[in-house]
This record gives sequence, structure tokens and C-alpha cells, in this order.
Amino acid sequence: MNLQDIENGTARALAELAAAEDLKALEALRVRYIGRNGLLPKLMQGLKDVPAADKPAMGQALNRFKTAVTDAVAGRKAALEAAARDARTGSLDISLPGRWARQGRLHPIQQLIDRTTDIFRRMGFTVANGPDIETEYYNFDALNTPPDHVSRDLADTFYLPGGLLLRTQTSAVQARYMETRQPPVRIVCPGRCYRRDTTDATHSANFHQIEGLYVDEAVSLADLKSDLDHFARELMGPGVRTRFRTHFFPFTEPSVEVDFSCHMCGGGGCRVCKQSGWIEIMGAGMVDPNVFAQVGYDPEAVTGYAFGMGIERLAMILFGIDDIRRLYENDGRYLAQF
Amino acid sequence: MKIPLSWLREYVDFDDTPEGLADKLTFAGVEVEGLATVGGGVEGVVVGEVTAIEKHPNADKLVLCRVNHGAAGEPWVVCGAPNAVVGGKYPFAPLGVVLPCGITIEKRKVRGTASEGMLCAEDELGISDDHTGLMELDARWAPGTALAEVMGPPETVLDVEITPDRPDCLCLVGLAREVAALYGTRLKMPANDAAESATPVETATSVKVEDLVDCPRYTARILRDVKVGPSPDWMKRRLEAAGIRAINNIVDITNYVMLETGQPLHAFDQKLLEGGRIVVRHPAPGEKIVTLDGVDRELTPEMLVIADAAKPMAVAGVMGGEFSGIGDDTTEVLLESASFRPVAIRDTSKKLELMSESAYRFIRGVDPELAEMASRRAAGLMVELASAKLLAGVVDVRGEPRKPWTVTCRPRRLATLLGMAPTAEEIAKIFESLELKVLSCTPELIEVEVPTFRGDLTREADLIEEYARLHLKNLPPVRSKATVVPDADDKPAQAQQRLREVLAGLGLQQIMNYSFLDRDLLDLFNREGAAGRVELANPLTADHTVLRDSLLPQMVETIGLNVSRQVAQAALFETGRIFRLDGEGHPIECDQVAVGLLGPVGRTGMDRFGPVGEEDMFLWIKGLWEQLATALKLRDASLRPADRPWSQPGRGMEVAVAGVAVGWLGLLRPDIAKEWRIHEPLGLFEAAVQPLVKDVGAMQELTPPPSYPSIRRDAALIVDGSVRHEQVLEIARRAAPPELEKIELFDIYQGKNLGDGRKSLAYAFTYRSPTGTLTDEAANEFQGRINAALKEQLPAEIREG
Repeated sequence: MNLQDIENGTARALAELAAAEDLKALEALRVRYIGRNGLLPKLMQGLKDVPAADKPAMGQALNRFKTAVTDAVAGRKAALEAAARDARTGSLDISLPGRWARQGRLHPIQQLIDRTTDIFRRMGFTVANGPDIETEYYNFDALNTPPDHVSRDLADTFYLPGGLLLRTQTSAVQARYMETRQPPVRIVCPGRCYRRDTTDATHSANFHQIEGLYVDEAVSLADLKSDLDHFARELMGPGVRTRFRTHFFPFTEPSVEVDFSCHMCGGGGCRVCKQSGWIEIMGAGMVDPNVFAQVGYDPEAVTGYAFGMGIERLAMILFGIDDIRRLYENDGRYLAQF
Repeated sequence: MKIPLSWLREYVDFDDTPEGLADKLTFAGVEVEGLATVGGGVEGVVVGEVTAIEKHPNADKLVLCRVNHGAAGEPWVVCGAPNAVVGGKYPFAPLGVVLPCGITIEKRKVRGTASEGMLCAEDELGISDDHTGLMELDARWAPGTALAEVMGPPETVLDVEITPDRPDCLCLVGLAREVAALYGTRLKMPANDAAESATPVETATSVKVEDLVDCPRYTARILRDVKVGPSPDWMKRRLEAAGIRAINNIVDITNYVMLETGQPLHAFDQKLLEGGRIVVRHPAPGEKIVTLDGVDRELTPEMLVIADAAKPMAVAGVMGGEFSGIGDDTTEVLLESASFRPVAIRDTSKKLELMSESAYRFIRGVDPELAEMASRRAAGLMVELASAKLLAGVVDVRGEPRKPWTVTCRPRRLATLLGMAPTAEEIAKIFESLELKVLSCTPELIEVEVPTFRGDLTREADLIEEYARLHLKNLPPVRSKATVVPDADDKPAQAQQRLREVLAGLGLQQIMNYSFLDRDLLDLFNREGAAGRVELANPLTADHTVLRDSLLPQMVETIGLNVSRQVAQAALFETGRIFRLDGEGHPIECDQVAVGLLGPVGRTGMDRFGPVGEEDMFLWIKGLWEQLATALKLRDASLRPADRPWSQPGRGMEVAVAGVAVGWLGLLRPDIAKEWRIHEPLGLFEAAVQPLVKDVGAMQELTPPPSYPSIRRDAALIVDGSVRHEQVLEIARRAAPPELEKIELFDIYQGKNLGDGRKSLAYAFTYRSPTGTLTDEAANEFQGRINAALKEQLPAEIREG
């Protein structure tokens, strides 16, 4: 017995096993090679006559023989059994389309509302809600926008009988919420808003906003910046930065518009950001002392920031939607892609 | 507002590129929306004079123009503009010239006729978007003169948006003041001295203001021997670059000074003023005026007019009358410079649906203290440019003058609010750069006097904003103060989110529809609901007039839209608010959820292509509700047969929670479905969200897995076709021992071999004891009792399995 004999023997055994035509023949081969009285035990016994120096190599070779034959027997057995089963029941066409109940999807606007509220929840905000039908008080007066204020001209409003209106901004929730509790306040309010805009590719008479409000001792504009920086990174990617531009809203002072650096080009300029490197995302600012006074907070004791952004606009930017009307068209083939 | 940069530079120095300036202004609150260069890139374009026009042989809308362009030969060009006339002068691009719009002029045939050059419209030269006709040039330019010379040097124009709180920036001086603050330079005010003649103005006119609240100030100057004519080119260019059409020197000067100072001015032909005097008053009932735009307008008594002794000559602050304006033969001008109450002008402008540059500024607020200075400035220009003689003095009728006021700012408060801590001196320096007069400055308090043109600065917060807006880029990075607010609770919002996730998990696609719609659509589903609907007082379009009181009409409409687009299957849901009037007529709103199913959406296999029967669809929409209720852990949900106006009779059920109806499910009436050409069964469900999600997150009592095995017995009941599943359950449960764990229906069969009108219902009964393993004998005995009851009470014939 030498190593070469064992290697040759292994090859021969494997060839015979592969050719075994039925389970019975296979079993006979198994018994012959590795059965209790088969070839392998005999060779193992013969090991004791092998010179000590050759023993380890010879022992390993016999082990390889055993493993190879055992695996080949199992493999051939499975194949023979499968063939026998297919002969009985026919073969399975595994190229058939898969079959399971479908998974539904959330509307892209909903997905963004959920995503943004989830990010803010992780930052300690809770979700607050307000009615779609508002009074002039909560939509305007409580937000430092008296009846003759020019900014009431900014938003053209849908009115209802009895002087009520459809809220033009989720900011209407601010005073409602603050009236019912003492600081600290840290809320986000997603919701539907309405403006008397003619619907076109970028305007919709009914749309969604998410409003944020944080009131506490010594909240600063720098806090607003840092929180929005975090939000921007969470929403659009780790490299995204924010910048503030001075603006005007009646209910915040100072007021800013917030741009995010473009998530597509990283700020270098591309089609999405119209080559500017920045995308306007939201309005924000420090809560005007008059708003605090309306709800009975002491503007000397607390300060706060507020922000608001349009969800449709965000959806159009993030998903690359070209026309806002697609979001309300509800074509199943379009929605199924989100 | 369009700001030509060369004009701006007249009032302020700054060392920066237009882009750099735009960036600084934008951050400081004057948003630059556009930056364009006008007038460059017209090399080679010259003044061309049309010397002959002939009809195009092959086209009705085209003509052939022979053009003298100051060089040898007069080329013929094909031209489609409506305003080409013989003798007219227009920009002419000879062969080889490349226009700013990118066109290279080549010799080519237009409808078979050669064209050797091009007469240009403004858009082709990059001057404006105007393509209504050829750009008309002044007759005095000789053919062949370079257009660059006609137009002057290229001008960079900023397009800025001024926020409503900053009316003082609606003019060049105001913007220059901002620029001076941004660059640390000084504002240079325009000259406003005018040589006066000896005759006092009072000898020529008088002013009476009947309402000093609506018109707090009215000034008038008189200019005589006025020579009306075209303005100098520099003035025309600036006006046109700013977007205002040049008319004649007098009108142009009023516009020029308005753009310069922000004070709207109006020039009357003094000789057309009856009595030569001005009365500022409210219109008499029924009084009318034809405004400059040629529209006959009905005036109402709360409006304000500028009248002469007899009749209205202008709608105050909004627009002049057609017959009061300056014409070529005007020789005597009354120059109005006044101020009006913003809300009064806004209301008038809204009511007349008439907006003007003047009204726009008055609505936002014009400092009354500006009126006299601006009038002097304009009068000076009229003396200079229209050889006018200015009478001495000014008629100035006014209420109390506006005086500067003081506002204080605590540096510590500023630091709290902004999160940055400049010294009091640093803050004071910013205030001074904005022309706020610092009266005192200590580390605790800065006191400033606010000039009258900054009406927006009345409180400490306003002053803090002034500092902030010039330092927005310097906000220090801080760590987020993310705080847990102890008793804040948004479980209701979380429960709603859970509801939507469950529905998506059940295979439904969420849709979103508008909150308002056409009332006919709502009527189609529920005519009786009409009285309780909330209508828009001022709808924008006829198809959005009423708020929805149900999500179902739009759900079906959406399915219909998809069907019309060959998407024949739908498994959709919507969550949204509905609105209706309560018993006292007050609108109330409620969050609802709706589901719509069409097509074989309840199947997963090859049988998807088979037709969907009413039973299939009904059981799917019912099954979906059952799955939903289970996932939401609702323990007290129930169903009972009930029809809705939209549901097929006998195919509707009421959904109740804790015994209170909260919604409905069922099959849509075929006559409604037909409106969208839907001919298959359509399953609908709608319910209020609140009661459905009340148990989300609630703990429930758990049952440990059973200790002992169960025994199953099957029984096929052959019964009359009218026997209902719930009857079987009721009888079986009554006859069953406590060991009966569940009853499952696993087959329904109807076939000829059963006999007419009969069916077979196959049930599996599972028995289990909590105290030991049941014997076969015990199970047989239990089943025997149930079978006996069913046989007798249904009645049924039973085959046991």
C-alpha cells in the first residue's frame, strides 16, 4: 500500500458512486468502500505495518478517502431520491413567478412626513396636531398678524361661512398648543394646509407642512441652527450643511430662510439646485415676543424658535418629482415605485 | 424690483462683484432673485432703417423689408413682425453676426425668398422677453450707428425681492443704505435743491385735505413754462432697465424719483384742474372716474380721490385719471407728493382690482417725512430737464409730523436670543451703520433713535434682528439642547402611524386626495348628506367647492382613473380628514380611513385571472377589516348588516366598536360604479380612525400555549341553500361542551348530486380539555351532541369525517 494507490482508489470509488443507477447499487458501493467490513477498515488496520515516518501522511490520505466517499454517497443519494420524486410527481419549475400576498406602500408625502417626524422624535420632539378648519385668531392674530397686516395679503386664504378658514400654515398649531401648557415646549406638527393658489406644476391648493416649535429658557438662534444642521444631515445625508438667509415672517423675529446644501452635487452646482449649490427648504426664526404675549408666556423668561417646511416641495426634491400634481393623481403605477 | 447696478453706484461705493453684492444682500434679507446683464453682446448689430416693404410672394404673414444699414447696398430681409413700417428704425443684424440669443445670421431662404440679415426684437438681443414686435429705435439715430452706442454700456441688473417689513428698501436710496451698511461705506443722497422763481406757490394753487387720517400729508409744487419732450437717454435707459416704460420727461421724472427715493409722485396738468386747486376727499355717492388705463371705474365713499374744484382727477395713491395727465401741450404742472394710509390704499386697490407701482409702495408704507424732499428732488430735475420754472415754496398740508423715536436694546438679551455675545460697542457700531442714532451705550443698555423711514423698528426684538441679519454667517456651532419634555405625549399620532403601517402591510397602497371637491360627486354617493356639508365661501374653481364628508367618492374616482388607464386592479387606502356641520351648524372635522378594492386582489395564485364574484369581493373587504381589527388589537369590534346610500342592498355592513357605529363596509352600487365604467364588484370600507386605534399599544391578557393535545372532528352538513354560516355556529355553540375550542368552515360545495337548492358546508371542530388528554370516545360524544342539534334544528344531513 502506498499513497498513490490510495489516490487512485479514491478516484475509482468516486467514479463508481457517480455511476450508481439506483439506491440499492449505491448502498452496495457504500458497504464495499466504507462499510464495517469494507475496504476502509481494512486499510486502517494495515496502517500499523507502515513505517513510522510515513504513518501521518498515510493516515491523512485515508481520512481524505473516507470523507470523499461519504460525501459522494450522500450527494448521489439525494440526486437519486430527487429523480425518483420527480418521476412520481413531475418536476418543479423553479422559474415560475413567486407567490405571496403583496406588500402595500405608503404615499410619498406620508413617507416624508413619517421620516421627518421620526428624525425630530429622536431629537426630543413630540407630534402635536391641530384642526384644518381654523379661526382667524389662531391662523393670523395669535401669530402677530393683525387684520391690516400686509402679510395677510401674502397668503390667499380659503374662507368658510361664519368667518372660519382653512389654515394656510401649520403655524396655527403654535398658539393652540402653548395655550394649553407651560414651557418647555418641543413639538412638531405635520398637517394639511390650504392656499388659494391656482394649481400648476409647483403649486397645489392643498398641501402639507411640518411645523416645529421649541420654547424653553434661553433658546437661541444658534440652537436653531444646530438642530436644523442635525435634521439636514439625518434627512439628506452626512455631508449636508445649512445656511440662514434673513427673511420676514410676522411670527418670528429674527426670521430666516433656511437653505440646505445640495445633496446631489454636494454644493458644487447641478440641475437639482439650479447650479447654486443650495436648496431652499424652510422658513424659521425666533418666536416673536408678541406671540408669547398672546398665549400668556413671559417673553423675558423664555425664548423659542419655530420652523416650517413644505412636504410636497421636499418630496419633489428628494424623489426628483417634476410635477406636484403627480402626487395627487394617484396613478397606481406611479405610487407603486415609492 | 429691478435695480440697475450703475444707478445704484450713484448713491453708494462698494468694492465687489455683482455676484458678491448679490450674496451679501441676500443674506441680509434683500433676496436677489436674478442677476442679468442687459445690453451686452450686440457687437455688429446696427441701426437699420426700413426703406421699402413688399409682400412676401409665398407667405401672407411675412413681408420683405429693404434695410439701409449705413453701408453699401441695401439688403432685403424677410420679416414677420407686425410693426415694421417704411421709415422705421430697428436693430439690424447683418450677415455673420452672432446674436445674444445664440442665432448666427446667415444668408438663407425663408419660404423661397432670400433673406440677407435680420431685423430684431428685444428678446433676440437679450434685452427683455418681449417678442411682440421689432424693437423700435429713436428716429434721430443714423442708419449704421452701432446698437451698443444706442443702448449705452451694458448694464447689470439685480432683481430683488423686498420683504413686506422693509418698504424703505423699495427704492435705490434705501438699497444703497443697506449696501453702505454691508460694506462700511456711506450713503450719498441725491441732490435735492431746486432753483425757485420769485412767485410764491400759494398764488397759483391751494390744497384742501378733508381726511387727514387717510391722507396724513399732501404737498404740491407748481412748475411753469414746462417743455414736455422725451427724456435724456440716460434716464430712459435707467427706467427701462428698471422695467418702467419711458413716456415723456415729466412723467419719467416722477417715476425716476419714485424709484430713487421710494416716494410715489404724480404730475397733474395744472390747466386741466378746475379752479387750479386740489381737494383730497372721499367720493360722493355714484361718482366715477376713468383711470389712465382707460377703464371707467365706480368709486365708493370709503375710497379717497384727488379732486379739483369739481371732479375726481385721480384715485389717491393708486392711479391718475385719464384726463389729468401730462400731454405734449402741457405747460404747467402741479407736482403731487403725498402720503396715504396703507390699509386705505390696499382696500381701494383690492376693490378696484387695480395695482400700480404707486399703490404697491403706499400699501407697504411710505414715510410721510419723505414727501417734501422727494418733491424738491423731482422739481429740480424738471427745472433741469424740462426748462421749467419752479414757483417758490411748497403747499404742505399735513397732520402731526412723524418724529424719530427711541428704542433700547440690552446686549445680554441679544446674546440670549442669538447665541452670540458681541460687546455693546460692536452692536452699537452696527446700529450706526444703519443710520440709527446711538444716544447712549453701556454694557447693559444701548439706546438708539430710529429715523422715521424705519417704521419696522419699534421694539428691542427688531433691533436684535438688525444685528442678527448682518451676522448670520457667524452663528457659533453649539451642541443641540435636545430635551425630553416629561409629560409630552404623542401616542395618538403614533397610533395613526401604526394604522397606516398595518394597512400597507395588508397589501394596500396609500393614496392622497384633495380635501375639497365637486358637490355632485358627494351627492352621487350620499344625497342626504348634502345639508350637512361645509362649503367654501370663496372657492377657486368649480370642481373644488365643498369639503369632503366622506373619503369614498374620491376613492372610487381614483379607482376609476386607474381603470381608465388600464390599471384594472386596486387595493388602496386613504387616511384623511372629513368635514361636516354639527347640529348647530358649526363645522367639525374627523380623521377617517377608507379602503377600496377592485379586481382579484384577494388572490395570490394563478386564479388571479379568473373573474371576481360578489362573494369573493365582499369576503375580501370583510376579511380585510377583520385583519385590521386584529392587528389593531380591537377586542370590541362587531359587524351587523346595514345598507348605506352607496352600497348594494344586502351587501353592506355597519362596523361598530364598543357597540357604537364607526363606519361601514360593503359593495358599491353598480349604477354608481358604472359612472367610471367599472363593471366588476368594488369593495369599500370607511371608518373613523379614533375608535379604531384606541387599543393600539394596550396590554392584553395572554393565554399560555395549551398543555394537552386537541382532537379534531369534521362534519359535512348538507343543508338548504338559505342556511347561513352564523346559524350553524349558533346552534353548534349552544349544543357544545366547554371543550369545544373552535369551529372552522373549510369547504362550501354546491352541486347537482346534492339536489336542487342545497349545499354542503364542511366544518372542522376542535376539542381540547385544559385538565387532560381527551379520549376519542369523549370527542365522538361531543360531536354527536352537536351533530344531533344541527340535524334537528337546521335541519341538516350530516356526513362525518
